[in-house]
Amino acid sequence: MSDYSITILSFIAIQAMVACGLNVIVGYAGQISLGHAAFFGIGAYASALLTTKGGLTFWMALPLVILITASIGLVLGMPSLRLREDFLAITTIGINFIVESIFLYVPFFGGALGIGGIPSIYFFGTRLRGANFLYLCLFFLALTLLISRRFTKSWAGLACFALREEETAASSMGVSPVRFKLVAFVIGTAMAGLGGALYAHQMRFISATDFGFPLSVMMLSMVVLGGMGTLWGPVLGALILGVLPELFRPLVDYRMLLNAAILLLMIRFQPGGLLGEESFLRHLFSRRRREAHHG
Amino acid sequence: MQLFLEQLLNGAAMGAIYALITLGLALVYGVLRILHVAHAGVYAAGAYAGLYLYSLTGSLFLAVAGAMVLCSLLGVAIERLIYTPLLKYPPFVPLIGSIAVFLALEEIFRLVGGPYILSFPAELPFSGITLRGVVISPAILSIYVVSGVVLLLLWFIVTKTELGLAMRATSQDRDVAGAMGINTSLVISMTFVLGSAVAAVAGILVGIYFNQVYPTMGAVPAYKCLALIVVGGLGSLPGAVLASLLLGVGETLLIGYANIPLPRDSLAFIAMIAVLLWRPGGLLGNR
Amino acid sequence: MDNLLLRLEGVSKHFGGLKAVDQVSFSLSPGEILGLIGPNGAGKTTCFNLISGVYTPTLGKIFFEGASTGGFPPHRMAALGVGRTFQVVKPFTSLSVLQNVMVALGLSRYRGVFASFARWETEAVRRQGLSLLEEVGIAHLADMPSGKLPLGNQRCLELARALALEPKLLLLDETFSGLRHEEISLLSRLVEQVRRKGIAVLLIEHNMKVAMGLSDRLVVLDHGRLLAQGSAEEVRSNPQVIEAYLGKGASSHAS
Repeated sequence: MSDYSITILSFIAIQAMVACGLNVIVGYAGQISLGHAAFFGIGAYASALLTTKGGLTFWMALPLVILITASIGLVLGMPSLRLREDFLAITTIGINFIVESIFLYVPFFGGALGIGGIPSIYFFGTRLRGANFLYLCLFFLALTLLISRRFTKSWAGLACFALREEETAASSMGVSPVRFKLVAFVIGTAMAGLGGALYAHQMRFISATDFGFPLSVMMLSMVVLGGMGTLWGPVLGALILGVLPELFRPLVDYRMLLNAAILLLMIRFQPGGLLGEESFLRHLFSRRRREAHHG
Repeated sequence: MQLFLEQLLNGAAMGAIYALITLGLALVYGVLRILHVAHAGVYAAGAYAGLYLYSLTGSLFLAVAGAMVLCSLLGVAIERLIYTPLLKYPPFVPLIGSIAVFLALEEIFRLVGGPYILSFPAELPFSGITLRGVVISPAILSIYVVSGVVLLLLWFIVTKTELGLAMRATSQDRDVAGAMGINTSLVISMTFVLGSAVAAVAGILVGIYFNQVYPTMGAVPAYKCLALIVVGGLGSLPGAVLASLLLGVGETLLIGYANIPLPRDSLAFIAMIAVLLWRPGGLLGNR
Repeated sequence: MDNLLLRLEGVSKHFGGLKAVDQVSFSLSPGEILGLIGPNGAGKTTCFNLISGVYTPTLGKIFFEGASTGGFPPHRMAALGVGRTFQVVKPFTSLSVLQNVMVALGLSRYRGVFASFARWETEAVRRQGLSLLEEVGIAHLADMPSGKLPLGNQRCLELARALALEPKLLLLDETFSGLRHEEISLLSRLVEQVRRKGIAVLLIEHNMKVAMGLSDRLVVLDHGRLLAQGSAEEVRSNPQVIEAYLGKGASSHAS
């Protein structure tokens, strides 16, 4: 496999991780977040700063990065998640813009020049590049998926499902809406922070515009495309939206339009996503299974 | 002092334009409870359509009229093809659809009109005036006149006509309005017609004022105007206008005049957060 | 001070200029079945929403087990022992019937953030859920998607969910409306069973036969105000009540 493909796959793995985080918020808890890229950015900047100005290694910085991202998620989530859906959507967009502005204008974050010279990740003395870095990303992706799965099996996850379906009924059964939405939000943003840290060390250079609103939309598209609320949906979505631009290289000019068109078609005709309940893929496979039975 | 007044007038002009766009958003939110992000795409389409028709006919009047018609059609198409079929799903589903439409429109503008900034050199029917030493350019004057007329017309329609009454009833309670014999689907479409036509006018005004028409011109208004309907009070039309004017003036004065080091576009969101903390119903909201 | 389970003292709820509930006071003892009746728009569901925490009283106080609970959010009222059903059924449609009940069984876990990380799909919890479904007679539908149930079964599910909270007070909001005869009999028997367990019931009902048949006492509301309270007999012959339901002049006809 070429170096380029490996780099792309690493990138897709990172995006899948972040999309999993968004899936916990949007898919499991039913809360709209259009500012997820901000937390991806917070993780990236935190790791970048801790490893450059702070002199820490990636591994030493990692727990701090996750803590920082999750804490900011907690602080921003507390007032926001009390809001009604419409307000929440706009507020998360606002969070994205404001965080991006802070990265862009506050000199500590390098301003328009961003932060460069981010060190590579070393694992017991070996510098992780190429295939090794991909394995690292896949490892963290697996970890993220395990946490997602464990979440769905926990009472907290069940509470979130109930909140998603019928908030009034859920709260009358003892589920505190704000608390459990917050739990989902903190988990989701922590995952985004993890992805951000890996991204910073892959790119070695980050700037504020990497984490703008269009990226939040892209991430939401991945979750929607793959299937909101399913375990593998975000991974599938990240894969498709990551690979498509490469497949459509000759059509590079139409890439964004195709992305938008796919998102539009998906949301219009299959809001549950490819792995969702009513997806045509499921029908296709169940029909095949039925035919195999009868045949 | 003179500079201050000029900046004030500039700010109010921007505010008027924000009001034209935000009103469309507020109207749509009122009847469908959907955040019509794609509205900014309609606004940009208005600028492109206006530019194209103007270059074709040389008549600004025809350009504006034609753009209004085209954008109304676009708005209704979005409503019929995307929003109405998705109403049965949770609200973020039509919201994603709206964002997808907006992105697609931006790309279409780029592919059809080119990624460059196009200029819109229009012969305005007004000449500039000077009041007590304060210069008001033809563009600014046009904005005041046109937006004033449009806002007045809109106010008249919403408050004095049967359609306006039907719109207000539908936005209060769609089912009850339907039960009372109001053809809610027609009312909804008419809402989109009105909002989109007004957005088209805003697009043309902006295109002429800044002499710039470009594919991503809708990006900032898309999200800024969302913040504005929150500040004004979701569902409140006067609130939308008030919030727009305040922001227009605020942006220009605070950043252009007082040179406060904040990115201009984040002021709307900061204002929104302030409003949400202090007065969650918005400035003039009643929900 | 009293062994009353629930006490409303001068409770009012205003929505802008509208007084949905106006100075209503009544009380409920443990193990009692109280019927809340009145014409449409009388404020009955608003009372429920006030008791269960969905609304905060504009005026007045609500006491549950002696403690003032006005303004407590619904999840807190659930933890205190108030369970409710909804007039328009609210099943968690993407979950199965059994899973719906299991949500309510997590009540004690939802209190602590870390307790809520434990697994929910254990044998013990399943058994608990199934026995509750058995009680209401829909155990055979345990794995069906809850959104696809017919109305009668949906009502039973609502009841099972509320019972899973091991409540001291059960609020039943029009649980019998739209049901067939057999379903009404079944649910009536279930309500009696509930009372025998010592759970107090406050029910809103339009079906007079059911309301008067099940309730020990009745409270009549009209236009947000308390019109009368007492036994079925007392309420039935109260001229103001008759007027409220049948219009002015009807009371003279009735007597």
